[in-house]
Amino acid sequence: MSINEILYNIQDLSVEFHTRVGILGAVDHASLDIRRGEVLGLVGESGCGKSTLGKALMRMIEEPGKITSGKLLFDNIDILALDDSRMRELRGSRISMVFQDPMTSLNPVQRVVDHITEAIQVHQSYVTDKEARARAANLVDRLGISHDRLDDYPHHLSGGMRQRVMIGLALALRADLVIADEATTSLDVIVEAQFLDLLRELRNEFDLTILLITHNMGIVAELADRVAVMYAGRLVELAEVNQLFSNPKHPYTEGLLRAVPNIQLDEGELYKMAGSPPDLVRPPSGCRFHPRCPKVMEICSQVDPIFKSIAPNRMVNCWLYQEVPDEKLWVGGSTQ
Amino acid sequence: MSPGLRRYIIVRTLLTIPMVLILVSLVFIVLRVMPGDPALAIMREGASEEQLAAFRAALGMDRPLHIQYFDFISGVLRFDFGESMVRPIPVTQEIKTFFPATVELAIFSMMVTTGVGIFSGAYAAKNRKRGSDYAIRVLSIILYSLPIFWLGLMLQMTIGAGLGWLPVSGRLSPGMTPDRVITGLYTIDAILTLNLDLLVDALKHLILPSITLGLVLAGFFTRLTRATMLDVLEQDFITAGRARGLHERVLVYKHGLRNAFIPIVTLLGLQFALLLAGAILTETTFSWPGMGRLVVDRIYDRDFTTVQGTILFFALLVAGVSLIVDILYGFLDPRIRY
Amino acid sequence: MAMTNTELAQNGSINQMIEDVGLLRRIWRGRLWYGTEWYITVFGGLILVTVTIVTLLAPILSPYDPNDFAGSQFIPPGGGPQVLLTRSGESNRVTESYLNEQLVGVQRNKNGTNIAIELELDYLRYQTQSEQIEALQNQEVDSILVDERDLDAIIADFPQLEIAADGIGPSFTLGTDNLGRDILSRLIWGARTVLGVAILSALLSSVVGISLGLISGFVSGPFDRVASLTMDSIYSFPGLLLAIAMAAMLGPGLLNVAIAISVIYIPTFFRVVRGQVLSIKEELHVEAARSLGAKPFSILFRYIFPLVIPSVVVVFSLNVADAILTEAGLSFIGLGLPPDVPDWGYDLSKGHSFLVAGHWWMITFPGVLITIVAMGFSLLGEGLSEILNPRLVKS
Ligand SMILES: Nc1ncnc2c1ncn2[C@@H]1O[C@H](COP(=O)(O)OP(=O)(O)OP(=O)(O)O)[C@@H](O)[C@H]1O
Ligand SMILES: [Mg+2]
Repeated sequence: MSINEILYNIQDLSVEFHTRVGILGAVDHASLDIRRGEVLGLVGESGCGKSTLGKALMRMIEEPGKITSGKLLFDNIDILALDDSRMRELRGSRISMVFQDPMTSLNPVQRVVDHITEAIQVHQSYVTDKEARARAANLVDRLGISHDRLDDYPHHLSGGMRQRVMIGLALALRADLVIADEATTSLDVIVEAQFLDLLRELRNEFDLTILLITHNMGIVAELADRVAVMYAGRLVELAEVNQLFSNPKHPYTEGLLRAVPNIQLDEGELYKMAGSPPDLVRPPSGCRFHPRCPKVMEICSQVDPIFKSIAPNRMVNCWLYQEVPDEKLWVGGSTQ
Repeated sequence: MSPGLRRYIIVRTLLTIPMVLILVSLVFIVLRVMPGDPALAIMREGASEEQLAAFRAALGMDRPLHIQYFDFISGVLRFDFGESMVRPIPVTQEIKTFFPATVELAIFSMMVTTGVGIFSGAYAAKNRKRGSDYAIRVLSIILYSLPIFWLGLMLQMTIGAGLGWLPVSGRLSPGMTPDRVITGLYTIDAILTLNLDLLVDALKHLILPSITLGLVLAGFFTRLTRATMLDVLEQDFITAGRARGLHERVLVYKHGLRNAFIPIVTLLGLQFALLLAGAILTETTFSWPGMGRLVVDRIYDRDFTTVQGTILFFALLVAGVSLIVDILYGFLDPRIRY
Repeated sequence: MAMTNTELAQNGSINQMIEDVGLLRRIWRGRLWYGTEWYITVFGGLILVTVTIVTLLAPILSPYDPNDFAGSQFIPPGGGPQVLLTRSGESNRVTESYLNEQLVGVQRNKNGTNIAIELELDYLRYQTQSEQIEALQNQEVDSILVDERDLDAIIADFPQLEIAADGIGPSFTLGTDNLGRDILSRLIWGARTVLGVAILSALLSSVVGISLGLISGFVSGPFDRVASLTMDSIYSFPGLLLAIAMAAMLGPGLLNVAIAISVIYIPTFFRVVRGQVLSIKEELHVEAARSLGAKPFSILFRYIFPLVIPSVVVVFSLNVADAILTEAGLSFIGLGLPPDVPDWGYDLSKGHSFLVAGHWWMITFPGVLITIVAMGFSLLGEGLSEILNPRLVKS
């Protein structure tokens, strides 16, 4: 298996929410490949559309949202063309998701074991109850939970344990792709570290592909192979993890990295990016980052840059790295 | 039983005491203290001064209020409501005769209510903001805007008197009597004594009243279920279940409903009063010899002690049921602990 | 679904936008955000406006006095104008003189009887229409009075009969009751009673419930605990039974019935207001007002009370809906208003006795009206509660 085999091919994905104040473009023409076996980090400020993108990959956008454009190819299956029952078969068995809050993501009146056996039997109805239970026991053992906790209700477990159960649920059917949406945010630092170790082990053991959604740069640095940066619904940069950290290209990425507390280099006050995230109902024209960008140019507010490759494994969505078209073509007016 | 649960039950039971006290005092205030002379209200105009005085003396109403109050309370504590004024039997005896009819009506109505209400409420929640949701909601508003007794009248007129399919009054056909009154619920007595004719007859008489009462309450119950379900369906574990590939049906009717069940039971317990109020009107419409009829009839018969006793009994009943519901809640919900 | 920070921020600003406009404008703007809900609300409102207009115009709209024995008993809906029929060739004679010494055949329980009495005609009564016609043909009477509606059928069967006069006497669009009172007029006047009692009782209970709720929520402590427990107890008691007991003790009368009903609804106002006060109390601007040295009383009325109003409006509307049903229930049981006050519930209880006889119109129309009016208030209340307490994430 080559590391470069593409598992999930996202082309031109847009998601819109119809809210009372107008149409909110939460994901705007995003294109991205997820490679088999990698851990791809997806970072960005709160509200930039990370979760929405993750949910779109499982076709789980709910009312009032809608996928308005794009093509989703998972292992060459056209996700958007599947009928509902085929889509359900895929969810949980081939693509699964770990949510942010383990406290609320388990059914409070269902025993832990029933969560797992239910997930197994939904997809493999031939598995007997006994077998399913045995598999559940194996699984939680592997995740470091004693299997006599199986008959507990979720509220008996600690946060860390619950998150392990959530991971167990995601792995119960050996999904190819696990989307972990802020999976560690609600855990305390020590539990988080243990959890990340577990994730790393599991990744090797189960040959997982992980889409790691987070705004914690530390986790990205520790776990991810590649990183995609998102801003206001758009992908702005994609790079291998060490390249991104050592040499960020997009001004937003730079700002994001400077805002990370760094214990070794005590630079005094933490950098804080100017301005606030834009209103996605009425986003800024041109590059959406231009009102906050320290390197803003005239064209930035006029014409959308393109998310394009500037080096192998490196894509940026910024006018600094692409040829600015002839002024006549864009000055004083719209682009298209 | 876990210590937490035991504690919860004890605390809850203790809380019932002030509730009963307040309810009993409320009844006392309404019947004895409020402006409006009970003697006059009961005896109506035209009664002579001596008659009124005799009435007051018979009930001890000529004594100071605080003494009356303690008498009243001690009566309630001993479950002694005095003697009926139209028949020489204790009021508790009367209640014993009439109460089973109300219980039977309530049980069958609740079956209609929960059957219709849970299903339509969950269905509306599942199809939120779609046509069927709006249809169910408007329908349930119409249902609980219907005067119960009028719905009863309409059913009597069409299905009862009009088509002649079902009896329109009473609990049994004339000439039909239970072989032996065991529970007082004729359907259960009929099953216990293996009397098929009695069972069929009792059920036939039950259909219209329980549909009447059940449907009106179902309007309310649908709303309750829908709102509770909407809250539940919005929770993370439903989304998480969806991400595991669970069918929407399973999410709504298994996971959703099981979680909504607990708040629904609680709220339903709170609405027990609604059931009783509805029963009074249903019983009047269908000449159903239950507690509601008892109160209404005895108001006309000027039987003050029975009216007072029945109302007190209702107060105790309400307190008791709310206690039972809360204890049930403690058993149902693995999380709730005091 | 957990809300993200931005969502919260955005919703905050939208909520702010909504909070900043007045109650009425908020309702009007609701149109944009609440499609179907909004139209349901407006529909409820329209029902109420119509009913209110009818009650105001009752003297003009109602054809009869609601307590007048205007027609015969049990005239079915549409029953009304009578036609005077005679044997062929005699119509002129009869017409010229039918006020005089003629003998008119009428049918029992039909409007004709009434008209004959009113016009002081000599009449003979017959059980059925065929007996009536037979009598005319046998020369027992000079003419007969029949319902205009039956005319075509009669003429088809007996072409030898002739019309002497038509359009005689009053008509009853919705029929008459067991005493010959016009049902339509009773319904129109009854609307006044029902709305009057329901709104009056809701007003009474709102005054008590809101004040208690404001104070209880504001002062907390033992007062709050006792008040809450009392209100919860009243709430758990079957409302109708309480009203029955009160009404029986207070005796009949409009105000008495309104008081009896109002007790039931005090707890609903109390609970809602108290709950809101508890949360508003903690809010910033109240804290600010306190630190500026405002008196508790003025904090309560200047800063807290206005914020409670939207919920009170909703509860009020829903309670009026319920009060209408309770009032009807009381009257149905026979504990409502004095018999000379036209009232829908009373009409229903009268109709109940004649149900088996098949006089459907007596029980159908009052019930339909009670339902419609109660529904109007429910729809309005439900819709308003959605519009006035927007939860925006839910699209
Ligand atoms: N159900 C919804 N209805 C309306 N708008 C929504 C809905 N869900 C998300 N949005 C909007 O879509 C945008 C993207 O939301 P999303 O949850 O994807 O952000 P995120 O990057 O995951 O943020 P966070 O880091 O806080 O989780 C936000 O502006 C949010 O307000
Ligand atoms: Mg998110």
